[in-house]
Amino acid sequence: MSYRIPIGPYHPALEEPYKLELICDGETVRDAVMNVGFNFRGIEYLAERRNYLQGITLVERVCGICSNVHSLSYCMAVEQLTGAEPPERALYIRVVLSELERLHSHLLWSGVAAKLIGFKTVFMACFTLREKIMDALSAISGNRVNYGMNCIGGVNRDIADPQAVLNILDELERDIQHIILPIFLKDRSVESRCKGVGILTKEQAMAMGAVGPLARASGISQDIRKAAPYCAYDRMEFNVPVETSGDVRARLVVHALEMVESCHILHQALRTLPEGPIHAKTPSGARFKVPAGTAICRAEAPRGEVLYQITSNGTDIPARVRVRTPTFMNMATVRFTVLGQQLADSPLIQASCDPCYSCTDR
Amino acid sequence: MNTAPENFVQSLQESGLGGDWEWKNGSWWRTPEAMDVRATATRMIALQARFVAITAVELPDKEIHLDYQWDLNGQLLSLATATKAQRIPTIADLSPAADWAERETREYFAVEFTGRESTQPLMTRAGDPIGINLRKEVVK
Repeated sequence: MSYRIPIGPYHPALEEPYKLELICDGETVRDAVMNVGFNFRGIEYLAERRNYLQGITLVERVCGICSNVHSLSYCMAVEQLTGAEPPERALYIRVVLSELERLHSHLLWSGVAAKLIGFKTVFMACFTLREKIMDALSAISGNRVNYGMNCIGGVNRDIADPQAVLNILDELERDIQHIILPIFLKDRSVESRCKGVGILTKEQAMAMGAVGPLARASGISQDIRKAAPYCAYDRMEFNVPVETSGDVRARLVVHALEMVESCHILHQALRTLPEGPIHAKTPSGARFKVPAGTAICRAEAPRGEVLYQITSNGTDIPARVRVRTPTFMNMATVRFTVLGQQLADSPLIQASCDPCYSCTDR
Repeated sequence: MNTAPENFVQSLQESGLGGDWEWKNGSWWRTPEAMDVRATATRMIALQARFVAITAVELPDKEIHLDYQWDLNGQLLSLATATKAQRIPTIADLSPAADWAERETREYFAVEFTGRESTQPLMTRAGDPIGINLRKEVVK
């Protein structure tokens, strides 16, 4: 006899609100029904009622983890419409912020995954490492969550002391190599807990439009930083880790190796940070108007491709701001990954797609 | 900024994606036309393109402009169509990735996607009014 287990929207075991109904046959999950929208804030509606400059502050609050990529994508789309060209130094600073954001997001995910695997020591280690990144972000921007770094035509703050960030990075890279990689790549307990669990095949990932580390763990090699480079990514050398097994272990491996690649990118960007201004001159306040037209910008957020489409009618308020976040595509894959799996594995499987409900709901 | 790959338009035409294509700011845009969205989706899936998004925009004459965005080998293709009747065939049965996008577009712009078995609300709850982004004033 099958039975339904309703989980959420508010549940002591879930950090963010969503609702999942698992239809089980004994301990085996036979189907899943997902409901989202509990964090719906109407960001797109609100963005069409604020001027372009207010919009930057608004979209930075789409997400509390990957806030920078939202203001970055928004600004890059407006720059396409206005023709504002950020100076070289600003492009490099944007890369630094993006990779620091990816690192702290991946470390957060790694900690959550470790906790669900039952490896709480690693959870503590991941969050200790994450603090180093938060310190670096705080030193650069003055903020730990919403950095307020991006402006139309560049960035608001310079990196005054790149060496200080490099010193934090050296320490972090050493700890990732010595703590995270051996556990996520070689530990037999982790492997036995995650191997063959929550498989998303390449065909399923393609059909569901999956993006980011989730897709790359299922054999889809695309990374927007390589496929359609933005900022200064075309000048950075880095690999895109890809696994083919599509299980939770593959997602662990991809996340761990992506952290190493982020460190490589940060070293390059900070060591070759060009001299010069950090933003182009643009009119301020109500004098800032955008020519009529439409622009799209894509960026690789920690969880995958973000898309911003902005349509201008020539005024200081956008006619349309479209925000397509990575979890909006990835979340629905949970229905495939929990099928036929043990009920006890479902929390880990759900978490392994690195969901962000705040991003999804907007 | 990434640049337009050579002969890409020609390869699009040879792939059965006719029409006038324009490279603009890093993406390919096809001139709006009365598009058979289901035939186009079938073609895109056959080409192993990845569904990215549906972006609706309200035009001044109450027409709803719809951009269907697909990623083909890293190139973002935007295929535009429009509806005055606010009804357009679904592609969710062809591309499951479009399911949430269609449900969301219905909630924001009151566009009905015909041929779906059901269209459950995604961001709102059952019984809530649709067409959120068509509202002209903030409801207090």
